[in-house]
Amino acid sequence: MEISLSVSRSTPKRHFEEFTIPLQKGMTVLDALIYAKENLDHSIAMRYSCRMAVCGSCGMKVNGRPMLACYTQISELKSNRIKVEPLDNCAIIRDLVTDFAEFFSHHKSVHPYLIRNDVKEQDNPVKEFLQKPEEVEKYLQYSYCIKCGLCYSACPTVAADKEFPGPQALAQAYRYIADSRDEGIQKRIDVIDTAHGIARCHFAGTCSSVCPKGIDPAQGIQLLRRYTLSLKR
Amino acid sequence: MSSSAKRTPPPPVYKARRASLLRSWLWPARSNLGRWAYTMQRVSGVGVSLYFLAHIIETGNVVGGLSMWSVPAYDIAKNNWNNTVDFLKNPLFDLGLVIIGFLLTFHTFNGLRLFFSEFGYGIGKPARPDYPYKPKSQNTLQDLIIWLSAILAALAAVYALNVLFG
Repeated sequence: MEISLSVSRSTPKRHFEEFTIPLQKGMTVLDALIYAKENLDHSIAMRYSCRMAVCGSCGMKVNGRPMLACYTQISELKSNRIKVEPLDNCAIIRDLVTDFAEFFSHHKSVHPYLIRNDVKEQDNPVKEFLQKPEEVEKYLQYSYCIKCGLCYSACPTVAADKEFPGPQALAQAYRYIADSRDEGIQKRIDVIDTAHGIARCHFAGTCSSVCPKGIDPAQGIQLLRRYTLSLKR
Repeated sequence: MSSSAKRTPPPPVYKARRASLLRSWLWPARSNLGRWAYTMQRVSGVGVSLYFLAHIIETGNVVGGLSMWSVPAYDIAKNNWNNTVDFLKNPLFDLGLVIIGFLLTFHTFNGLRLFFSEFGYGIGKPARPDYPYKPKSQNTLQDLIIWLSAILAALAAVYALNVLFG
């Protein structure tokens, strides 16, 4: 059995190129792309590394929906025609490779690390910092983020406003604000509670529905909004 | 070149551009229900805002149109109002009001959903994600309210159809 793989190419101008790929059991979209690159056209540009949904490199639009190519089996798409495109909301470098500079700058801007007032204790701890399981549950899922950019690509507000931090950065802000060890709330609130900040989210929820790691950024953002509105942590 | 010399960044080798801005912003195809509600909320918000603007201009005619700060004589006001009513006696404007009825009702009820979500109601509690992943914020209650908003909006449109064309 064969499938038709339609790949978005960026040179000389954006167009689609069709490849016929022999289908194998358990084949992922990334496997199909690698087959095309190895056997049919060496010039296809794509980014991938771990092939097991850990590194977050192979994010792309598969049949119109942001997905990790390595984490998407062809059989689950229920179609013999597969169309792969670069992620939305990012500048295209070439073919399926997009520029994540903007995405990472938003991520960095929310101070994605623990901030403590007692810096000495943080650098040279003399005792454990104990957390109850329910305290861990508040932020645990957000710490699973692999920064693949699928949520950023799916967010309609990011499409309309470049200065909006996006679901990934806001969910990371919530991850650290919800952490009982953190004391940098005000520092992050100053970054996200701006004219182009958290109030721009209108709870489309696409970020949560496309996340390959089961993270719920939309929920984190709403909880963060609750904090900015009522200071309830 | 000495190592202390200041390096200049290499020129960009690609033309930075974003793919299909309008499509990724407004078009909800192959997305979750909340994304459809997002688009409807934006479209209805713009529609209702434009309606309010037109409504202010329309009722402004009663008190003298552009010179609304001066209260006109009764006859002039009556004449203005009759002219406006005659102008609006048009099936196209009636159809517009039916659409506004739909948009306004959807915007109100979906807006209430968003309002309560912002305070953390109806979005579930954070927990460890287990496969198969199902985001807790995209739950049955949220879907139910979106559908309910759409049904109520459709009922409002039917009511408006009956009033204006019945």
